[in-house]
Amino acid sequence: MELKLLIPLRNLTRNRRRTLLSLAIIALGTAMIYAVRGYVDESMLSIRQGTVRQFGNLQIASPLLWAEKTENFGYLISPEDVARIVALLQEIPEVTAHTVQLNLSGLAITERKTKVVRATALEPQNQALDYNDLVVEGSGLNPDDRAKVLIGRALSEELQLQPGDFFSLTTTTVDGAYNVGPLQVAGIYALNNAVVEGQLVFMPLGYGQILLDTSGVAKVIVTLRSIDDTDRIAQIVQRKLTEAGLEFEVRTWVQLAEFYRQIKGFFDVLFGFLTIAVSVLVFFIVLQVLTLSFLERTREVGTIRAIGTKRYQVFLMFFMESVFLGVLGGLLGIAGGWLIGQGFNALGIGWTPPGAIEPVPVRLRLELGNALGPFLVGVFATLLSALYPAAHSARLNVVEALASK
Amino acid sequence: MILQTENLTKVYRVGKEEVPALRGVNFALDTGEFVVINGPSGSGKTTFLNLIACIDKPTSGEVYIEGQPTSQLSEGQLAELRKRKIGLVFQTFNLIPVLSAYENAEYPLILLGVGRKERYRRTMALLEEVGLKELAHRRPDELSGGQRQRVAIARALVTNPRLVLADEPTANLDSETGKQVMAIMRRLNEEHRVAFLVVTHDPVVTQYAQRTVKIRDGQLFDGSAKNGA
Ligand SMILES: Nc1ncnc2c1ncn2[C@@H]1O[C@H](COP(=O)(O)OP(=O)(O)O)[C@@H](O)[C@H]1O
Ligand SMILES: [Mg+2]
Repeated sequence: MELKLLIPLRNLTRNRRRTLLSLAIIALGTAMIYAVRGYVDESMLSIRQGTVRQFGNLQIASPLLWAEKTENFGYLISPEDVARIVALLQEIPEVTAHTVQLNLSGLAITERKTKVVRATALEPQNQALDYNDLVVEGSGLNPDDRAKVLIGRALSEELQLQPGDFFSLTTTTVDGAYNVGPLQVAGIYALNNAVVEGQLVFMPLGYGQILLDTSGVAKVIVTLRSIDDTDRIAQIVQRKLTEAGLEFEVRTWVQLAEFYRQIKGFFDVLFGFLTIAVSVLVFFIVLQVLTLSFLERTREVGTIRAIGTKRYQVFLMFFMESVFLGVLGGLLGIAGGWLIGQGFNALGIGWTPPGAIEPVPVRLRLELGNALGPFLVGVFATLLSALYPAAHSARLNVVEALASK
Repeated sequence: MILQTENLTKVYRVGKEEVPALRGVNFALDTGEFVVINGPSGSGKTTFLNLIACIDKPTSGEVYIEGQPTSQLSEGQLAELRKRKIGLVFQTFNLIPVLSAYENAEYPLILLGVGRKERYRRTMALLEEVGLKELAHRRPDELSGGQRQRVAIARALVTNPRLVLADEPTANLDSETGKQVMAIMRRLNEEHRVAFLVVTHDPVVTQYAQRTVKIRDGQLFDGSAKNGA
């Protein structure tokens, strides 16, 4: 006990300035990793929420749609099949809601301009996935609306359309016939994504079916009680579909959101790189300090070895010093990172990510859950630095060590 | 017999040169004896003591501790032997600076795995015997040289070893303090029936010896002068 606790702790008080320096380095490294972890986690969470809000948790559609073989509209799901899918979904308690969507594209024409747009036809004010909460001007879509549309802010600026204005949309029906319908802008939505806002419009399902001249839909969208259920329920739904002989495929939101996967990959690389860089820095600085500090005690090592201390005990004594340093530095780092994070959160500094229209505030998510990783990185970098100097001290020749200094 | 050496030699190699430090030393120490080996600087005293203390290996010859040959023992077995049977006193005291006098004297008992209460009893008893009970809480840098050496003596004796080895224990002390330290060692030798082997270049120290041996150029010359106590 005393060898592993008392003496190492006392040795940390031997040269306070040096101990404080080591602690500061470890704490700084840990705090940096923790702060960045908090930023990445917060960003990923908001992107994930946004993605799920855009895609639902699961989508069910024909393999043709997923393979983007959409030319002949062979992917459309008939009302009968929709009813069978819905019946299956109702057997699963984790499913909170579902809805259907139909996608089409066409040419938006105003008096001044034309523009190719994509439209999502949906059930207004359904329980699963509804874009009315994105509306920043005008109103959302109502269940009894017919030829109404929500357009993005970027598109409204480009086509100079305000709520209440009309434009026409020309499309091709499933049979290849030319079709055109007038649409009134009900409201304008904002998504802070220039590409989506400039292209995508939302209309009631019934009107989309009229424009395409079909009674089918493209996909069934499912929301779940918890995002963590996604993969498990996806498997269950797929099995039920297959058992029922329905040739549809389930996709999860992660599979659907290429953007999410890319940004996650980017963040993972960034964070991994930062972690390695900071660990290496902490490792070398603490290595330097410990080497010096252990070497100064050469004659003491000779003494305690001479009176019967075993090599492994010397090693442990020194190694435990780094355990205390690492744990203390790590804890200080977590506390420091938390303070930095609270500072950022309170200041609300904003930046504009690529593709976004408005700056988003830099926010850090700092919880005990994501503190563990950075804490362990700080601790392990420290322990690693102690390994060599501690082993070196443990292996000193007793006579030479006694004769030193 | 607590200690015996048989034809002990030690040759240091410095570059290509060979420095013979011990040339066939035969020596024996009886249980409870107090022997001083006296010789000039460079005569091989420290070398001899290191071999007996089992922290160094002879070039040839053998060291027997309580009749047991030591040359074949492993590093771990030697550490075990040092911790149980041998106490060491150094010229430069060699206390651990971050530990109090009490903790320094207690340290070998921790190595032996003695329980806290028993450690306290034995450590305090020894600190009292060397007259440092009142200063038990002080750190080494708060003690005088003589006090530090007394702590070191307490540390050497706390495990009840059979043999205490002291290398120039008075060399860093003024002569008055040196005498006090020698007197304490002599008293403990009698009270604890523990053998002392003190090596020194200081002729004054020989006054405390039961038996004095001279060393010169790595060879012993038995003075055999028994001084009584
Ligand atoms: N590590 C060493 N390397 C080379 N020569 C040494 C070493 N240690 C001691 N010697 C030599 O061995 C001889 C005896 O030294 P030592 O035992 O330290 O004598 P003493 O303790 O009596 O002063 C001296 O000539 C010394 O120079
Ligand atoms: Mg010497």
